[in-house]
Amino acid sequence: MSRLKALIRPSVRCIVHRRYCSTERVTNALVTEYRNDIFEEEKRRQQGMVRRLEKIEVVHVGPNDPGTFIMNKNLSTPYHCAMHISENYTKYSALALVNGEPWDMWRPLTEDCELSFMRFRDEDPEEANKAYWRSCALILGAVMETAFKDTFYVQLSRAPELTIIKGMFVYDVDLGLKNWTATKDNLRSLSLSATTMKSKDMPFERLEVDPSVALRLFQHNQYKQREVEERVRGGRVTLYRMGKFIDIHDGPMMSKSSLVSMFTVAGIHELPGGLYRVQAVALPHDFYLHNSVWNRLVKRASVPLVGDLSTAGAEESLRETRSLAA
Amino acid sequence: MRLSLMLLITHGKRQRKLGGGKPQRLNILRRVVTGLVRHERIESTYAQCDEAQFYAEKLIDYAKLGNTNAGAMRIADYWITEKDLIPKLFETLAPRFTNYDGRYCRLHRLPVTTQNTRDMAVLEYKGNPYPSLRPTPKNHPNSIANILVEGLRQDYEKKMEIDLKEESAT
Repeated sequence: MSRLKALIRPSVRCIVHRRYCSTERVTNALVTEYRNDIFEEEKRRQQGMVRRLEKIEVVHVGPNDPGTFIMNKNLSTPYHCAMHISENYTKYSALALVNGEPWDMWRPLTEDCELSFMRFRDEDPEEANKAYWRSCALILGAVMETAFKDTFYVQLSRAPELTIIKGMFVYDVDLGLKNWTATKDNLRSLSLSATTMKSKDMPFERLEVDPSVALRLFQHNQYKQREVEERVRGGRVTLYRMGKFIDIHDGPMMSKSSLVSMFTVAGIHELPGGLYRVQAVALPHDFYLHNSVWNRLVKRASVPLVGDLSTAGAEESLRETRSLAA
Repeated sequence: MRLSLMLLITHGKRQRKLGGGKPQRLNILRRVVTGLVRHERIESTYAQCDEAQFYAEKLIDYAKLGNTNAGAMRIADYWITEKDLIPKLFETLAPRFTNYDGRYCRLHRLPVTTQNTRDMAVLEYKGNPYPSLRPTPKNHPNSIANILVEGLRQDYEKKMEIDLKEESAT
């Protein structure tokens, strides 16, 4: 197993890689490998903790295909239940509702419950829409981490949560560059990178970890470490992995990256603090918009959004007020 | 050939020849219209339904005059062969179409199959109690595509407001 020991002096940025036994600079590729190793280790450890296979009864309460499933506690996910029903459920369900609560498709079920699946074309797809917008921001982060050459070390800062009617989702990134403007070709290649992620059909795996593990995982990214401290819920922190990209977020994500149909990076502009704000807009599968309409949406999304959109605190207060009202 | 082309030219005649002769044509259409008044949705040949539609709608126009009107009662008496339906026409159907915009009837063509090569159609009065034959298009106001386009529309409206204010200011 590889171990990257980052030296404390940030100016030197030398890493001793046990596997290669050489000093290498911090690059996104190495950092991704390191993060994946820790993620895999933690995932295996958590799976190892499930000593006995207990069974739970999951009742499907959707409008069609009624049934009860006997699934494994803490191992089976709504995606596995969908596999038992039909392929359409696996391909097109965006989000699962467990006892009415939004639940990731790849999150293990913990007790007897009622399950239903949400699609983008439902009567009330609000939760699926929000999950979609969050997941697209994640995909954008993945794109930014892998887009640049090795000579540039990209650190993702934060993906502020925006409403869909704003017409864009956003990721703040530390590129380590000054006065850089993206050309049209740059934006096009970023969009293409996102489209390849969509065609790879990668699931959004979820893992709840201890904050210390998360801090170790995000060792090479100060912004993410700060975010870990902000996003602690009940002494745990939620990590999401799509392919090789790992990020931290609370909310449920959609099931797979193949649920995107169009993804266009609209613009990148520099913020006062030196970070760059990447703005993009994406459309889910099964929705078709004419070229002219899509171009207008992209144009609207390319209008630079300035200001501190950090809503981690605001989201928390929203959730509190909602739980108080309920 | 010259002869067959002359057979196709109608010289402005809009009526089909049904049944062979004018009284037979009207008898057929009376039966269709009576069936329509009784069931409010009937299936017949496309030619008969198409011809009957005009008379079925005219019948409603006359029935709107009220059953005290002698002319309307005469028309209804001629066209409806089963006399128990005359009250239904004046009391149920005519009031339904008082403030109607457009036609009172709807004509759907049925698919022609190898088993049934006859051009069949369904003629129905609008507002009938049966479930609709055509699927109602589903609107998805809360879908992402619609929300995004709604955002565009709101931006446009704001821009229009600003433009109007500027115009009124100058």
